[in-house]
Amino acid sequence: MLNLGGAVIPMEQDLDKNVFQKIQFLVGSKKNLMQSGKLRALPMFSQKMTDFLADLSRMLLSDERAKDYVDVISYAYWIRNSSLLKERDKYHDRDSRLGRGIAFHIAPSNVPVNFAVSMTSSLLAGNGCIVRVSDKPFMQVSLICEAINRLLSEKYKALEPYFCILRYPHDESITQYLSSICDIRIIWGGDQTILKIRKAVLPPRAIELTFADRYSLALVDADAYLKEDPEKVAEKFYTDTYYTDQNACSSPRIVIWFGNEKARARECFFRTLEKKVEREYCMQPIMAVDKYASFCSLAMKTGGIRLLKGEGNRLMRVEVQKLTEELMENKPGGGYFFEYEASKLTDILPLLAKGCQTVSLLGIDAGTVKEMIIKYGVRGVDRIVAMGKTMDLEFVWDGFRMIEAMTRIIYVGEK
Amino acid sequence: MIETFHQLKPYSLSKEEKQERLFGELKELTEYHREHCKEYARFLESVGYDQDNIKTCEDIPFFPVRMFKECDLMSIKPEDVFKTMTSSGTTGQKVSRIYVDKENAMVQQKVMVRILGDYIGKKRIPVLVIDTPSVLKDRSKFSARGAAIIGLRVIAKEMVFALNDDMSLNQEVFEAFLQKYQDSFFLIFGFTFIVWQHFYKVLDEKTHKYDLSNAFLMTGGGWKKLASQSVTNGDFKNSFGKLCGIHHFLDHYGMVEQTGCIYAECECGHLHASIYSDVIVRNPMDFSPCKIGEKGIVQVLSVLPRSYPGHSLLTEDEGVILGEDDCPCGRKGKYIRIFGRMKSAELRGCSDTYGTGS
Repeated sequence: MLNLGGAVIPMEQDLDKNVFQKIQFLVGSKKNLMQSGKLRALPMFSQKMTDFLADLSRMLLSDERAKDYVDVISYAYWIRNSSLLKERDKYHDRDSRLGRGIAFHIAPSNVPVNFAVSMTSSLLAGNGCIVRVSDKPFMQVSLICEAINRLLSEKYKALEPYFCILRYPHDESITQYLSSICDIRIIWGGDQTILKIRKAVLPPRAIELTFADRYSLALVDADAYLKEDPEKVAEKFYTDTYYTDQNACSSPRIVIWFGNEKARARECFFRTLEKKVEREYCMQPIMAVDKYASFCSLAMKTGGIRLLKGEGNRLMRVEVQKLTEELMENKPGGGYFFEYEASKLTDILPLLAKGCQTVSLLGIDAGTVKEMIIKYGVRGVDRIVAMGKTMDLEFVWDGFRMIEAMTRIIYVGEK
Repeated sequence: MIETFHQLKPYSLSKEEKQERLFGELKELTEYHREHCKEYARFLESVGYDQDNIKTCEDIPFFPVRMFKECDLMSIKPEDVFKTMTSSGTTGQKVSRIYVDKENAMVQQKVMVRILGDYIGKKRIPVLVIDTPSVLKDRSKFSARGAAIIGLRVIAKEMVFALNDDMSLNQEVFEAFLQKYQDSFFLIFGFTFIVWQHFYKVLDEKTHKYDLSNAFLMTGGGWKKLASQSVTNGDFKNSFGKLCGIHHFLDHYGMVEQTGCIYAECECGHLHASIYSDVIVRNPMDFSPCKIGEKGIVQVLSVLPRSYPGHSLLTEDEGVILGEDDCPCGRKGKYIRIFGRMKSAELRGCSDTYGTGS
């Protein structure tokens, strides 16, 4: 083993025994890893990469098997040519930017398409990428990898060295090796995961983007809501929450009500949602206990809350009298909502702490919320979107312009 | 009061009589704990508890048994804690803490003896424990395993531990016990998995075959671990019957949070609720009570817990009520079947790459 500046770099024979044997390559090869140090960085939004992604989009959209997977389709749609070009035009200094080198992504185990989303930003930035995907055999992963392999073996042979999509069992020596050859490490959390992976040392100049546990809120103006079609709103809110078992960072955990007719709006909002949920949501039996236990725990420890009885356990509503950051730690997922009646926007400030990611809105002006965040120097809130849009794929995430963050800029001195 | 229950035989009350007595006691316990345990009072307030709306046992509020892992729940002064019982969680997991005063501890033992007496008679008998004596070492903290063993002490003429600390069979002790008691009626007690793994398998490999036909084999702790080895309750009995002639079995369902109130298995293979306790099976989708024969989440009611608010608890087990008052064994009350712990949740959304992995 060599010890270079804190990072322990294994020798090749050790690598063969300890690392490569345990890695399963879905795309790319050992050779790509071995030669990654010499890989040329590409310009930001290089023609080659945008063409590749646009072809990947076409290939996925024409794959009959992909039609069963909404997430694959929305990914494919997101990387279609026009969408990429529109995004490209937002970066005015892109001529001075290129990839940092190798991006090592550690994708979450239960969001099948996230690996591709994360990878896409690093490719557009001009990096080669190493992507660790979950051990779970998702069809979505197979479909996307299969399409990538086809493209790399035909039209895009020259891009092959830029890809390594792999699986390996939990093994610190492999994570350490891959970390030692990267320039950017991207970890999709859980806090515990991030802390664990951070034990693997990065090279001195490498940077890291981490996507930790976050929570999100929904703000609704009761009077504006009452003018909307309740079914359509329920549809949107369902997409924001139940679609991912309310377990995505961006899924609202609390609905905060503003305006005059709060009681009537709340009743209508949740009654309509509950009808949909009773019809469409498949709840695992243990979730009834998990959600009820979360409520009981909070009730016993702090009090000041009230369980609002509805039709059943698929939707659990808990009314709170006070907003505290600790509330957001009470998070079983699976359809468990706090509710609070606010009198003014600044009432929500206690919730806008570091952990707060997305604020979704109905009938409330995004600009006003943004101004408040800036005025009060709030440490959280990276995203303000309309209700129904919390799950949209974006190139800006958790406060990072993803593509830009994975490039380096060449400063040219003024004359 | 609970004393009136002691004057009755443990399986003597039919539905209406039992509900009336049980309801009166549980309603009183709810009020008692509301006054003596502030966490419980907050819980009642949060679920909108109103004494006037509590009309049957089904209306008594319940909370998940895991609350004992998250909160210290007691209705006695800390200085009156006689012993703290803990559930046996694997390392790293939180354990339940159940605070019992002297009086409650006595009631637990008394009820345990009365229930067991209905199956094995009232005489004290020799007990061979299939476990290591060290499971009782820390007397101030009883694990679920330890608590069950301690509970049996009162019916034991002599109690002998058959396993060494490394869970191997203590041949010397085992043979001495048999020599002394083989010809009389005796009890073998242990947790299902331990009995199978460290007793049955060991005896099965020996060339010498032992005659244990006078024994009652009492087990507890569930069948899940054995199911993973494809051993059913039936296989278990058949195997022990063939190997050493055991034909009396007494499995039971119970938990440290309601110690004393065990659900013991009758000759027909049914687990019975005694007059001291009851089971409501609830539909996971809305917590409504299930009918006889419908599978759901098991809620357990017991009139014993007075030092802590554990009289109405929602377990994480799935079960079914097979019938009430009409088991061929003649015991009154509900009889149930337990399917074991519910599968833990697997959610979509973003979460740990490691947490949900291997």
